[in-house]
Amino acid sequence: MGKYIVKRFIMMIATILIIATLTFVLMHLIPGSPFEGERTTNPTIQANLEKFYKLDEPLHIQYLSYLKSIVTFDFGPSIKKPNESVNELLARGFPISFELGMATILVALLSGIILGTIAALRHNGLVDYFAMTFAVVGISVPNFVLATLLIQQLAVTWDLLPAATWSSPLHMILPIIALATGPTAIIARLTRSSMLEVLTQDYIKMARAKGLSPVRIIVRHALRNALMPVVTILGTMLAGILTGTFVIERIFAIPGMGKYFVESINNRDYPVIMGTTVFYSAFLVFMLFIVDIVYGLLDPRIKLHRKEGDA
Amino acid sequence: MKKWLMLFVVALFVLVLSACTATKDAGEKKETNTGNEGEEKETAVETETEKILKLNNGNEPTSFDPSVGFDAVSWNALNNLMEGLVRLSKDHVAEPATAEKIDVTEDGLTYTFTIRDDANWSNGEPVLASDFVYGWLHMLNPETASPAAFLAYFIDGAEAYNSGEGAAEDVAIKAVEEKVFEVKLNAPTEAFLNIITNPSFFPVNEKVATENATWYTEADTFVGNGPFKLTAWEHDVSFTFAKNENYWDADTVKLDKVEWAMVDDSNTEYQMYETEELDVSGVPAELADQLLDSPELKNEDQAGLYFYRFNVSQEPFTNKKIRQAFGLAVDQQEIVEFVTKNGEKPAEGFVPYGFVGPDGKEFRETAGKLVGFDAEKAKSLLAEGMKEEGYTELPEVTLTYSTSDTHKKIAEALQSKFKEVLGVDVVLQNVEASVFATEQKEFKYQLSRSSFLFDYADPVNALESFITGSSMNRTTWSDAKFDKLIADIKNETDEAKRWEMLIQADALLMDEMPIFPVHYYNQVTLEKPTISGIVRHPVGYMDLKWADKE
Repeated sequence: MGKYIVKRFIMMIATILIIATLTFVLMHLIPGSPFEGERTTNPTIQANLEKFYKLDEPLHIQYLSYLKSIVTFDFGPSIKKPNESVNELLARGFPISFELGMATILVALLSGIILGTIAALRHNGLVDYFAMTFAVVGISVPNFVLATLLIQQLAVTWDLLPAATWSSPLHMILPIIALATGPTAIIARLTRSSMLEVLTQDYIKMARAKGLSPVRIIVRHALRNALMPVVTILGTMLAGILTGTFVIERIFAIPGMGKYFVESINNRDYPVIMGTTVFYSAFLVFMLFIVDIVYGLLDPRIKLHRKEGDA
Repeated sequence: MKKWLMLFVVALFVLVLSACTATKDAGEKKETNTGNEGEEKETAVETETEKILKLNNGNEPTSFDPSVGFDAVSWNALNNLMEGLVRLSKDHVAEPATAEKIDVTEDGLTYTFTIRDDANWSNGEPVLASDFVYGWLHMLNPETASPAAFLAYFIDGAEAYNSGEGAAEDVAIKAVEEKVFEVKLNAPTEAFLNIITNPSFFPVNEKVATENATWYTEADTFVGNGPFKLTAWEHDVSFTFAKNENYWDADTVKLDKVEWAMVDDSNTEYQMYETEELDVSGVPAELADQLLDSPELKNEDQAGLYFYRFNVSQEPFTNKKIRQAFGLAVDQQEIVEFVTKNGEKPAEGFVPYGFVGPDGKEFRETAGKLVGFDAEKAKSLLAEGMKEEGYTELPEVTLTYSTSDTHKKIAEALQSKFKEVLGVDVVLQNVEASVFATEQKEFKYQLSRSSFLFDYADPVNALESFITGSSMNRTTWSDAKFDKLIADIKNETDEAKRWEMLIQADALLMDEMPIFPVHYYNQVTLEKPTISGIVRHPVGYMDLKWADKE
C-alpha cells in the first residue's frame, strides 16, 4: 500500500505540473492584457506596471518564476486588486466553497443512497416510479435554472427562505438544494440498479435464511456491495460539483472561490488565474486519490497495486 | 416500518448536521422573516426606527484608494465616504463642499480654494490644504499608476510628473496656508470645477496615510471626510456605512446607516429587491419590458452613448458617402423602442443630453438633430459612393461586437436594417471583451461597436476622442480642421464662442461620420416607495447625502 501511495503521489505532482504548464501557455496565447480596457493608460505607467508584475520578461523566465511560485505556494499580488495577494483571496474563498461543496456531497450521497435503496426495495411500486421520475428531472434540469426557480418560488413568492448571500444556516438551504439535485438523481439511479442486482445475490438469500433483520441485511451486506458504482463515479462527480459551484455561487452571491476563477480570466489577472487553477487542480487530484483509496478499502478484492510474487 | 423510520431519522440527522456547520456570520444581523403574513413588511421594529438603507454594490470595490478605483463599484461608495473641494449638487452643478470659497483669476488660470473651518476627517482631525496636495500628488505619482491621472493634465506640470519626466515639486498645486489651497492651470479650463468633483481629486489624510500605506484596505483604518463613515467591511460579502457626525454638513444627512451587499447577478438582485432584502435594484434585461411602467422605476440620464466605429482606412469605409449611407440607414428610434426597450433616448449627434450652455439651453437642442433614419437618402448616398469608388459590388462588410446579449441584439437589428434599406449583407462577428478591446485599438475591425461614458460634464470630453492619433479614436480618421477646432476650444476663454465651437465640432464629426451613434445611456433603477433623495448624476457617482427612508 505504501508503495502505491508514493507512486500515486508522484503522479499527482506530475499531473498538477502539466495542468499548470498548459494553463500558462493558454493564458499567454490569448490576446488581451490585464492593463487593456476602454481607456488606455499612459505608456510610461503601463511599462512600469508590466515591469512590476514581471510581464515584460521573456516567457521562459516568467514560466520559471511561476513554477517557483507554485512550489513556495506564493503567487504574489493580484493585478486587478494590488492590495490583495492571491493567497489571501484563496484563504477567504476556499472555506466557503468547501463548505458548500462538502454539504452538497453529503446531502447528495445521503439522499441519493436512501432514495435509491427505497426505490429498489419497493421495486415497481409508486415510490420507485416517483424516485426515478425525480431522478430524470434532476439530471435534466440545469442547476442554475433550478436555482433561479427555487429563489423565485421559495424566497420571493412564498417567502420561506432568504433569497441569497451566505450569512446563516437558513441561507445554505437553497444553494445546497440547487447544487445537490443533479448528483442526488444520478446517485439514486445508480444505487437503485446496483441494489436491485445485489439483492438477487446468493449471499443475501443466505442472510435472509439466517434470519437477520432486513435493516441489518441492507446496511451491513447489501449496501457495501451496491455502493461500488457510486464510489466509482464519485471522483468525476466531485469535479462536476466543483464546477457547479461557480454558477451557484454567482447566482446566490456566495463569496466563494468560483468568482475569482471566472473573473480573473476576463480580467487577464495572471497571478490569480494561475493560483486558482493550480489550487483547484491540486484539490481535485487529491480528492480523486482519496476516492481511489476508499475504493480499495471498500472492496478487499480490489488490489490497487501488484504485490511482489503475484502472478 | 422500522427501517423506514430509521433511514428517515438518519437522513434528517445528517441534514441538520450539515446545516449546523455554518459558522459564517457576516456583519448582517438581519433576521429573515420566515413567518410571513400579508403583503406589507414593516421595516424592522427592533432597530428603533433607525433609517437603514439597503443597497447593492454589485461587486467587491476594486479599491477605496481614491486614485485607484476608477469604476462605479469603487466610487459609488467612495463618493459618500469622502468629499472633494466641490461636490455636485442635486442639479448636477459643482458647488463648494470641503472648500467654502473659490477665487479665480481673470485669465482663468489660477484657482484659490479656502477650506471650511469645520471640515473634518471622520477621526476628528481637520481637513488641511496639505491633505489635498498629498492626495493629488499621490494620484499623479507614476508609481500609483492611477487610471484617472489624465483628468489632471490641465494642471501645470501634472502630465510631466505623471509620465515620469517631471518632479513632484513642479506640479502647480500648493498649500498657500494651512486651509488655503492653490492650483495653477496651463490653459483656462471651463469644466475645471466639474472635473475636480471626480473622486480621484479627493483629499487623503496625510498623517494617516504616511503612518499606514494601506489605510484604505480595512474599515478600522479607513479615514474619510464625507457624509458617511465606513464602520464595517467584510471583503466580497458586504460593507456598512454610518452617518459621519464629524461631517461639516452632518445636519443634512438623514440616513443613519447604509448596508451594502455584493450581489453580482442582476436577477438575484431583483429577487432580493422583491423579498425586501434590498431597497434599490437594477432592472434585469428580460424584465425591462414589464417593469418599464412600474411606479417604482426611475429613469435618469447618464452622460454617455452607444455607437459604432468605422475603420476609415478599410474599404468601403474609406468613402465618406458610403459611411453616411450606413449611418443614415440606422433607425435609432426603432432600436430603443423594440430592441433595447430600456427607456433610452435615440442618439441625434455625438453629444448626449445633460450639457447646458452659457445660453441656458441644452447642447443637443441647439445643435439639433444631426443624424437620423432616412432610407431614401441612405440608398442614394450608397449609389453615389459606390460610383465614386468604382465598385460594382460592395466589398464585404463585417460588423464586430464584444460578447454580450445586448450587443448581440443590437447588432442583429443593424444587420437586418442594412439588408432592408441598403440591400447589403453584413457579416456579424462577436469577440470576447478583452480581445475586442485590444484588437479594436489595433485597427483590425471594419465596423465595430463602442461606447463612451463621460468623465466630466463638458462636451469636449467626448469630442476630443477623435483628434488625430488619440487612443480613443480607433478609426484612423484624421481631420486637420477638427484637430484645430478642439485645440482652439481648449484655449478659448469666451464661454459663448467656446460653446459655438463645440457645436461646430459635433456637426463636423457627424458630417464626416467616422462613427454613427445609436442611443444615449440612461440609468434605470427600481426604488422602494419609502426611499427618496438618492441623486444619480448624469456624469458622476451616486450621492446619498440627501437620501431618506421613511
